[in-house]
Amino acid sequence: MKKMSWNCHRILFLFSRLILGCVFIYACFDKILHPAEFSKAVYNYQILPDVFINLTAIVLPWLELVLGVIFIIGIWMPGAVVMSNLLLTMFTGALLFNLARGLDISCGCFSTSAMESSTNIWTVLQHGAFLALAVYLLYIIYFSRNCDALRQNT
Amino acid sequence: MNKIGNSIWVKTLWQISVILAIGAGIGLISNSLRPDSLQLIGDWSAESRITATTGEHLIISLSEAEKLFTEDAAIFIDARSNEDFRNGHIAGAKSLPWQDVDRLFMKVTEDISPDMTIITYCDGKTCKLSHDLALFLLDIGFKHVRVLVNGWTVWQESDLPVERR
Repeated sequence: MKKMSWNCHRILFLFSRLILGCVFIYACFDKILHPAEFSKAVYNYQILPDVFINLTAIVLPWLELVLGVIFIIGIWMPGAVVMSNLLLTMFTGALLFNLARGLDISCGCFSTSAMESSTNIWTVLQHGAFLALAVYLLYIIYFSRNCDALRQNT
Repeated sequence: MNKIGNSIWVKTLWQISVILAIGAGIGLISNSLRPDSLQLIGDWSAESRITATTGEHLIISLSEAEKLFTEDAAIFIDARSNEDFRNGHIAGAKSLPWQDVDRLFMKVTEDISPDMTIITYCDGKTCKLSHDLALFLLDIGFKHVRVLVNGWTVWQESDLPVERR
Protein backbone atom coordinates (compact mmCIF):
# COMPACT_ATOMS: atom_id res chain seq x y z
CA MET A 1 0.00 0.00 0.00
CA LYS A 2 2.79 2.33 1.01
CA LYS A 3 4.66 1.45 -2.15
CA MET A 4 1.61 2.11 -4.30
CA SER A 5 1.09 5.42 -2.60
CA TRP A 6 4.71 6.34 -3.14
CA ASN A 7 4.52 5.45 -6.85
CA CYS A 8 1.30 7.35 -7.18
CA HIS A 9 2.88 10.42 -5.56
CA ARG A 10 5.92 10.11 -7.78
CA ILE A 11 3.77 10.19 -10.91
CA LEU A 12 1.57 13.00 -9.61
CA PHE A 13 4.63 14.98 -8.55
CA LEU A 14 6.17 14.64 -12.01
CA PHE A 15 2.87 15.44 -13.71
CA SER A 16 2.30 18.54 -11.54
CA ARG A 17 5.75 20.01 -12.02
CA LEU A 18 5.72 19.42 -15.79
CA ILE A 19 2.27 21.00 -16.15
CA LEU A 20 3.32 24.01 -14.07
CA GLY A 21 6.58 24.27 -16.00
CA CYS A 22 4.72 24.36 -19.33
CA VAL A 23 2.16 26.85 -17.99
CA PHE A 24 4.84 29.27 -16.76
CA ILE A 25 6.81 29.03 -20.01
CA TYR A 26 3.70 29.46 -22.16
CA ALA A 27 2.55 32.40 -20.01
CA CYS A 28 5.81 34.32 -20.33
CA PHE A 29 6.33 34.35 -24.11
CA ASP A 30 3.93 37.09 -25.21
CA LYS A 31 4.85 39.22 -22.21
CA ILE A 32 8.56 39.00 -23.01
CA LEU A 33 7.89 39.91 -26.65
CA HIS A 34 5.58 42.83 -25.83
CA PRO A 35 6.65 44.46 -22.54
CA ALA A 36 4.86 47.76 -23.23
CA GLU A 37 1.53 45.99 -23.76
CA PHE A 38 2.12 43.87 -20.67
CA SER A 39 2.83 46.98 -18.59
CA LYS A 40 -0.60 48.31 -19.68
CA ALA A 41 -2.19 45.03 -18.55
CA VAL A 42 -0.44 45.38 -15.18
CA TYR A 43 -1.59 49.00 -14.94
CA ASN A 44 -5.19 48.02 -15.71
CA TYR A 45 -5.32 45.86 -12.59
CA GLN A 46 -5.04 49.08 -10.53
CA ILE A 47 -3.36 47.25 -7.70
CA LEU A 48 0.31 48.22 -7.88
CA PRO A 49 1.59 51.74 -7.27
CA ASP A 50 2.65 53.40 -10.55
CA VAL A 51 6.37 53.18 -9.67
CA PHE A 52 6.27 49.37 -9.65
CA ILE A 53 4.30 48.83 -12.88
CA ASN A 54 7.15 48.91 -15.40
CA LEU A 55 9.51 47.04 -13.09
CA THR A 56 6.92 44.28 -12.72
CA ALA A 57 6.36 44.16 -16.49
CA ILE A 58 10.12 43.85 -17.05
CA VAL A 59 10.95 41.25 -14.39
CA LEU A 60 7.83 39.08 -13.96
CA PRO A 61 7.84 37.38 -17.40
CA TRP A 62 11.50 36.37 -17.00
CA LEU A 63 10.81 35.11 -13.52
CA GLU A 64 8.05 32.96 -15.00
CA LEU A 65 10.46 31.66 -17.63
CA VAL A 66 13.09 30.79 -15.02
CA LEU A 67 10.46 29.04 -12.87
CA GLY A 68 9.11 27.16 -15.89
CA VAL A 69 12.56 25.89 -16.86
CA ILE A 70 13.32 24.90 -13.26
CA PHE A 71 10.07 22.95 -13.00
CA ILE A 72 10.78 21.09 -16.22
CA ILE A 73 14.39 20.29 -15.35
CA GLY A 74 13.36 19.39 -11.79
CA ILE A 75 16.06 21.21 -9.82
CA TRP A 76 15.73 23.68 -6.91
CA MET A 77 12.21 22.47 -6.27
CA PRO A 78 11.75 23.78 -2.69
CA GLY A 79 12.49 27.35 -3.74
CA ALA A 80 10.58 27.10 -7.03
CA VAL A 81 7.55 25.58 -5.34
CA VAL A 82 7.37 28.29 -2.67
CA MET A 83 7.77 31.00 -5.32
CA SER A 84 5.14 29.48 -7.61
CA ASN A 85 2.71 29.26 -4.69
CA LEU A 86 3.31 32.91 -3.85
CA LEU A 87 2.94 34.02 -7.47
CA LEU A 88 -0.16 31.96 -8.20
CA THR A 89 -1.79 33.10 -4.94
CA MET A 90 -1.11 36.72 -5.90
CA PHE A 91 -2.43 36.20 -9.46
CA THR A 92 -5.59 34.45 -8.27
CA GLY A 93 -6.13 37.06 -5.55
CA ALA A 94 -5.72 39.91 -8.05
CA LEU A 95 -8.21 38.30 -10.44
CA LEU A 96 -10.73 37.72 -7.65
CA PHE A 97 -10.27 41.25 -6.30
CA ASN A 98 -10.96 42.83 -9.68
CA LEU A 99 -13.83 40.50 -10.40
CA ALA A 100 -15.38 41.43 -7.04
CA ARG A 101 -15.12 45.16 -7.71
CA GLY A 102 -16.48 44.71 -11.24
CA LEU A 103 -13.45 45.90 -13.17
CA ASP A 104 -13.82 44.79 -16.79
CA ILE A 105 -10.22 44.15 -17.85
CA SER A 106 -8.44 41.51 -19.88
CA CYS A 107 -6.49 39.02 -17.81
CA GLY A 108 -3.06 39.57 -19.39
CA CYS A 109 -2.22 36.08 -18.15
CA PHE A 110 -1.22 34.35 -21.37
CA SER A 111 -1.55 37.15 -23.90
CA THR A 112 -0.96 40.90 -23.85
CA SER A 113 -3.54 41.48 -26.58
CA ALA A 114 -6.38 43.84 -25.68
CA MET A 115 -8.61 41.46 -27.66
CA GLU A 116 -8.09 38.76 -25.01
CA SER A 117 -11.40 38.04 -23.31
CA SER A 118 -12.16 39.79 -20.04
CA THR A 119 -11.44 38.24 -16.67
CA ASN A 120 -14.29 35.99 -15.61
CA ILE A 121 -14.95 33.18 -13.17
CA TRP A 122 -13.33 30.65 -15.57
CA THR A 123 -10.08 32.60 -15.51
CA VAL A 124 -10.16 32.44 -11.72
CA LEU A 125 -10.95 28.71 -11.73
CA GLN A 126 -8.13 28.09 -14.20
CA HIS A 127 -5.69 29.85 -11.85
CA GLY A 128 -7.21 27.98 -8.92
CA ALA A 129 -6.38 24.71 -10.68
CA PHE A 130 -2.76 25.79 -11.24
CA LEU A 131 -2.58 26.87 -7.61
CA ALA A 132 -3.90 23.45 -6.54
CA LEU A 133 -1.00 21.78 -8.40
CA ALA A 134 1.48 24.15 -6.74
CA VAL A 135 -0.04 23.48 -3.30
CA TYR A 136 0.25 19.74 -3.95
CA LEU A 137 3.96 20.14 -4.72
CA LEU A 138 4.34 22.22 -1.57
CA TYR A 139 2.67 19.46 0.47
CA ILE A 140 4.94 16.77 -0.96
CA ILE A 141 8.12 18.75 -0.41
CA TYR A 142 7.42 20.16 3.03
CA PHE A 143 4.79 18.10 4.77
CA SER A 144 4.61 14.53 3.44
CA ARG A 145 6.57 12.16 5.69
CA ASN A 146 6.44 9.33 3.14
CA CYS A 147 8.17 11.15 0.34
CA ASP A 148 11.69 11.60 1.64
CA ALA A 149 13.14 10.18 -1.56
CA LEU A 150 11.33 12.74 -3.67
CA ARG A 151 12.51 15.48 -1.36
CA GLN A 152 16.09 14.29 -1.52
CA ASN A 153 16.03 14.51 -5.32
CA THR A 154 15.06 18.17 -5.28
CA MET B 1 14.42 15.81 12.15
CA ASN B 2 15.04 19.37 13.27
CA LYS B 3 18.23 19.40 11.29
CA ILE B 4 16.40 18.19 8.18
CA GLY B 5 13.67 20.76 8.79
CA ASN B 6 16.23 23.54 9.10
CA SER B 7 18.16 22.43 6.05
CA ILE B 8 15.13 22.49 3.75
CA TRP B 9 14.26 26.04 4.81
CA VAL B 10 17.84 27.17 4.29
CA LYS B 11 17.76 25.47 0.90
CA THR B 12 14.45 27.17 0.09
CA LEU B 13 15.75 30.61 0.99
CA TRP B 14 18.88 30.42 -1.10
CA GLN B 15 16.99 28.92 -4.01
CA ILE B 16 14.38 31.72 -3.91
CA SER B 17 17.18 34.30 -3.78
CA VAL B 18 18.94 32.75 -6.77
CA ILE B 19 15.70 32.40 -8.80
CA LEU B 20 14.78 36.03 -8.08
CA ALA B 21 18.27 37.22 -8.93
CA ILE B 22 18.34 35.31 -12.23
CA GLY B 23 14.83 36.46 -13.24
CA ALA B 24 15.45 40.09 -12.30
CA GLY B 25 18.93 40.08 -13.81
CA ILE B 26 17.88 38.70 -17.19
CA GLY B 27 14.80 40.94 -17.23
CA LEU B 28 16.75 44.12 -16.54
CA ILE B 29 19.60 43.28 -18.90
CA SER B 30 17.30 42.26 -21.78
CA ASN B 31 15.22 45.40 -21.23
CA SER B 32 18.28 47.62 -21.42
CA LEU B 33 19.40 45.92 -24.65
CA ARG B 34 16.12 45.99 -26.56
CA PRO B 35 15.27 48.96 -28.83
CA ASP B 36 11.77 49.34 -27.34
CA SER B 37 12.99 49.22 -23.74
CA LEU B 38 10.69 50.39 -20.94
CA GLN B 39 11.73 53.01 -18.43
CA LEU B 40 12.15 51.38 -15.04
CA ILE B 41 9.73 53.88 -13.56
CA GLY B 42 7.07 54.83 -16.08
CA ASP B 43 4.79 57.83 -16.22
CA TRP B 44 1.27 56.45 -15.79
CA SER B 45 -0.49 59.76 -15.29
CA ALA B 46 -3.66 60.29 -17.36
CA GLU B 47 -1.91 63.13 -19.25
CA SER B 48 0.77 60.82 -20.59
CA ARG B 49 -1.60 57.95 -21.39
CA ILE B 50 -4.31 59.86 -23.21
CA THR B 51 -2.78 61.45 -26.28
CA ALA B 52 -3.56 61.65 -29.99
CA THR B 53 -1.36 59.82 -32.49
CA THR B 54 0.41 63.17 -33.03
CA GLY B 55 1.34 63.20 -29.32
CA GLU B 56 -1.12 66.01 -28.57
CA HIS B 57 -2.74 65.73 -25.12
CA LEU B 58 -6.47 65.10 -25.36
CA ILE B 59 -7.55 65.46 -21.75
CA ILE B 60 -9.98 68.16 -20.76
CA SER B 61 -10.43 69.17 -17.14
CA LEU B 62 -13.82 69.02 -15.49
CA SER B 63 -13.92 72.81 -15.09
CA GLU B 64 -13.23 73.35 -18.82
CA ALA B 65 -15.81 70.73 -19.74
CA GLU B 66 -18.35 72.36 -17.43
CA LYS B 67 -17.67 75.77 -19.00
CA LEU B 68 -18.21 74.40 -22.51
CA PHE B 69 -21.34 72.63 -21.29
CA THR B 70 -22.89 75.79 -19.83
CA GLU B 71 -21.98 77.77 -22.96
CA ASP B 72 -23.45 74.96 -25.09
CA ALA B 73 -20.14 74.99 -26.98
CA ALA B 74 -19.42 71.26 -27.02
CA ILE B 75 -21.11 67.98 -27.84
CA PHE B 76 -20.71 65.27 -25.21
CA ILE B 77 -20.50 61.69 -26.47
CA ASP B 78 -20.88 58.76 -24.10
CA ALA B 79 -18.68 55.81 -25.10
CA ARG B 80 -20.21 53.35 -22.64
CA SER B 81 -22.75 50.65 -23.44
CA ASN B 82 -26.36 51.50 -24.24
CA GLU B 83 -27.45 50.01 -20.94
CA ASP B 84 -25.06 52.23 -18.96
CA PHE B 85 -26.21 55.23 -21.01
CA ARG B 86 -29.88 54.51 -20.24
CA ASN B 87 -29.06 54.22 -16.53
CA GLY B 88 -27.69 57.75 -16.56
CA HIS B 89 -25.58 60.13 -18.61
CA ILE B 90 -24.44 63.72 -18.89
CA ALA B 91 -27.44 65.87 -19.82
CA GLY B 92 -27.75 66.21 -23.60
CA ALA B 93 -25.01 63.68 -24.33
CA LYS B 94 -25.21 61.40 -27.36
CA SER B 95 -24.63 57.68 -27.02
CA LEU B 96 -21.98 56.07 -29.21
CA PRO B 97 -20.95 52.78 -27.55
CA TRP B 98 -17.41 51.94 -28.56
CA GLN B 99 -18.33 48.32 -29.33
CA ASP B 100 -20.91 49.52 -31.92
CA VAL B 101 -18.94 52.44 -33.27
CA ASP B 102 -18.63 51.14 -36.85
CA ARG B 103 -22.38 50.59 -37.10
CA LEU B 104 -23.54 53.77 -35.36
CA PHE B 105 -21.03 56.55 -35.93
CA MET B 106 -22.63 57.86 -39.16
CA LYS B 107 -26.02 58.22 -37.53
CA VAL B 108 -24.68 59.75 -34.31
CA THR B 109 -22.29 62.22 -35.90
CA GLU B 110 -24.27 63.27 -39.01
CA ASP B 111 -25.40 66.58 -37.47
CA ILE B 112 -22.05 67.45 -35.86
CA SER B 113 -19.84 69.93 -37.67
CA PRO B 114 -16.16 68.87 -38.00
CA ASP B 115 -15.16 72.11 -36.26
CA MET B 116 -17.35 71.52 -33.24
CA THR B 117 -15.69 70.55 -29.97
CA ILE B 118 -16.54 66.99 -28.98
CA ILE B 119 -15.96 65.66 -25.47
CA THR B 120 -15.95 61.89 -25.07
CA TYR B 121 -16.29 60.18 -21.73
CA CYS B 122 -16.81 56.82 -20.10
CA ASP B 123 -16.47 55.75 -16.47
CA GLY B 124 -13.46 54.75 -14.36
CA LYS B 125 -9.96 56.20 -14.24
CA THR B 126 -8.57 53.51 -16.53
CA CYS B 127 -11.55 53.24 -18.88
CA LYS B 128 -10.16 53.25 -22.42
CA LEU B 129 -13.45 53.56 -24.31
CA SER B 130 -13.47 57.37 -24.36
CA HIS B 131 -9.84 57.50 -25.47
CA ASP B 132 -10.41 54.95 -28.25
CA LEU B 133 -13.53 56.81 -29.37
CA ALA B 134 -11.67 60.14 -29.35
CA LEU B 135 -8.92 58.70 -31.56
CA PHE B 136 -11.55 57.29 -33.91
CA LEU B 137 -13.35 60.64 -34.18
CA LEU B 138 -10.07 62.45 -34.87
CA ASP B 139 -9.29 59.84 -37.50
CA ILE B 140 -12.56 60.39 -39.36
CA GLY B 141 -12.05 64.14 -39.52
CA PHE B 142 -13.28 65.85 -36.36
CA LYS B 143 -10.75 68.48 -35.37
CA HIS B 144 -11.45 69.25 -31.73
CA VAL B 145 -11.94 66.09 -29.73
CA ARG B 146 -11.19 65.92 -26.01
CA VAL B 147 -11.49 63.25 -23.34
CA LEU B 148 -13.05 63.79 -19.92
CA VAL B 149 -11.29 61.15 -17.82
CA ASN B 150 -13.59 59.17 -15.51
CA GLY B 151 -16.26 61.48 -16.93
CA TRP B 152 -19.48 59.97 -15.64
CA THR B 153 -18.18 59.69 -12.06
CA VAL B 154 -16.62 63.17 -11.82
CA TRP B 155 -19.66 64.77 -13.46
CA GLN B 156 -22.02 63.22 -10.91
CA GLU B 157 -19.69 64.00 -8.00
CA SER B 158 -19.86 67.68 -8.98
CA ASP B 159 -23.66 67.59 -9.09
CA LEU B 160 -23.71 68.69 -12.72
CA PRO B 161 -26.83 68.07 -14.84
CA VAL B 162 -27.54 64.47 -15.74
CA GLU B 163 -30.36 62.63 -17.48
CA ARG B 164 -31.69 59.13 -16.93
CA ARG B 165 -33.74 57.44 -19.65
